[in-house]
Amino acid sequence: MTRRISKYKRFMMMNPIVQFFKFIYLSIKVLLVVAGGHGGTRSA
Amino acid sequence: MAKIVVLGAGIAGHVAASHLRRKLNKEHEVVVVSPNSNYQWIPSNIWVGIGRMKPQDILFPLAPLYAKKHIDYKQAKAVSFHPEGDQDQNRPYVMVEYVSEGNKGNKEKVTYDYLINATGPKLNFEATEGLSPGKNKAHSVCTYTHAQEAWNALEGLIEQMKQGKKIKILIGTGHAKSTCQGAAFEYILNVEQELRRHNVRDKAEITWISNEFNLGDFGMDGMLMSYGSNIMKSSEMVGMVFEDRNISWILGAGVNKVEDGVAHYENLDGEQKQESYDFAMLIPSFSGHGFKAYDRTGMDITDKLFRGFMIVDADYTPKPYEEWSVQDWPETYQNPSYPNIFAPGIAFAPPHSISKPRKSKNGTDITPAPPRTGMPSGITAKLVADNIIEMIKQSNKELHHKGSMGNMGAACIASAGFGMTTGSGISITTYPIVPDYQKYPDTHGRKLGKTFGSIGLAGHWLKLALHYAFIYKAKMKPFWWLIPE
Repeated sequence: MTRRISKYKRFMMMNPIVQFFKFIYLSIKVLLVVAGGHGGTRSA
Repeated sequence: MAKIVVLGAGIAGHVAASHLRRKLNKEHEVVVVSPNSNYQWIPSNIWVGIGRMKPQDILFPLAPLYAKKHIDYKQAKAVSFHPEGDQDQNRPYVMVEYVSEGNKGNKEKVTYDYLINATGPKLNFEATEGLSPGKNKAHSVCTYTHAQEAWNALEGLIEQMKQGKKIKILIGTGHAKSTCQGAAFEYILNVEQELRRHNVRDKAEITWISNEFNLGDFGMDGMLMSYGSNIMKSSEMVGMVFEDRNISWILGAGVNKVEDGVAHYENLDGEQKQESYDFAMLIPSFSGHGFKAYDRTGMDITDKLFRGFMIVDADYTPKPYEEWSVQDWPETYQNPSYPNIFAPGIAFAPPHSISKPRKSKNGTDITPAPPRTGMPSGITAKLVADNIIEMIKQSNKELHHKGSMGNMGAACIASAGFGMTTGSGISITTYPIVPDYQKYPDTHGRKLGKTFGSIGLAGHWLKLALHYAFIYKAKMKPFWWLIPE
């Protein structure tokens, strides 16, 4: 096993308070990407 | 009055039928033909495969919902397509064969004005010798029954590991041209976490085997993404996670034969190799269903409708990888020969792969097939429904709703472990799905910012929230249509 994720980073990844705000941020960002529209490519 | 027949009740078929029913008044008929009696939220099969969800948590019966929503439902499978009718039937129709008890084996000509082929893929286990779910210690998570069988086998092994037995686990793709690496990626991380939860991680050697050239290809040629304040390749991110979790990997592997506890594969160097295992989960290749089509006189016109999957408005001209462009990809999913037939989701024939095609030194194609699951399936199904609604209401021949995978974003919220406080998820969004190297030449064909990755507990919560949200939506509960595809 090779440690590739530092203890601090792992703490941030798994801290429920930090991650709660991340959850809100991710939800909005995913929504913007997915519901942000789609269209054709041939007339562009 | 129009009659719209939807073949399939998976993500694409169900989304199309739901939107058609909501937006068309009752004088128009919406018919769903599916051999499956249940709707299943396939992305959560992963959690059935590790015993953290039961099949009943991810499915519900279709018949009561469709009866309530005035959608005609036939539990049957499509057999052949007759887009011009025949000598006895003037209208186009699909020959279907019932599979439900009571009228099993009975056939019916289901006529239509518009046809949506959302039959998805055939899970082509036969393409790999010896690959069959539950046999040769190799499993699948492609359906909830497969996932449940996988968990039953894994649970037994965990008990043996607790007694001190050491085992080898092999997870990945079971064919040189498999797709859906994302599902296997989720499963390997979930299995790894479950082994840690049961305190037996040190008893297992876990290996990823894949037809990808690089880690994190996912059938989409990999991606360059924003990761925090950095820009990172998906291969680097997946490599980081695998190394951190002590998962080794074999890439460029076309699995061609599975025996009891041994997977045989050819690599890009043309070497025939093998990998032993005590438990495997290998995703099969996907193929079309082998449907036949006939014209009014009974002549075989399968070539006009299918090339494996259904032919749509893509550019299928064979050309080298360097000449591929996003313009090759379909925009409306309409069959060019029969404008009243559409094929959203996995049912349409892609013009080519998204990943760079590679052959082994023996000439074997070892390239991931392009993914069209999940969000793209839902989005393309909705736009097909919207175009049909316009054609009906406005007698409009021009299709205004377009959605090329070269101009569409997608999110892959990959579970990396289950648990409200111990879980993890790898959230990746990609825009566009098919890289546009002309528009975004410096960022591997993708728009940074809209293509990003994130790892952490929030990803698990997001995946869980999507599970409940999409099942709510699929059950067509109040305001379901506000939830985007």
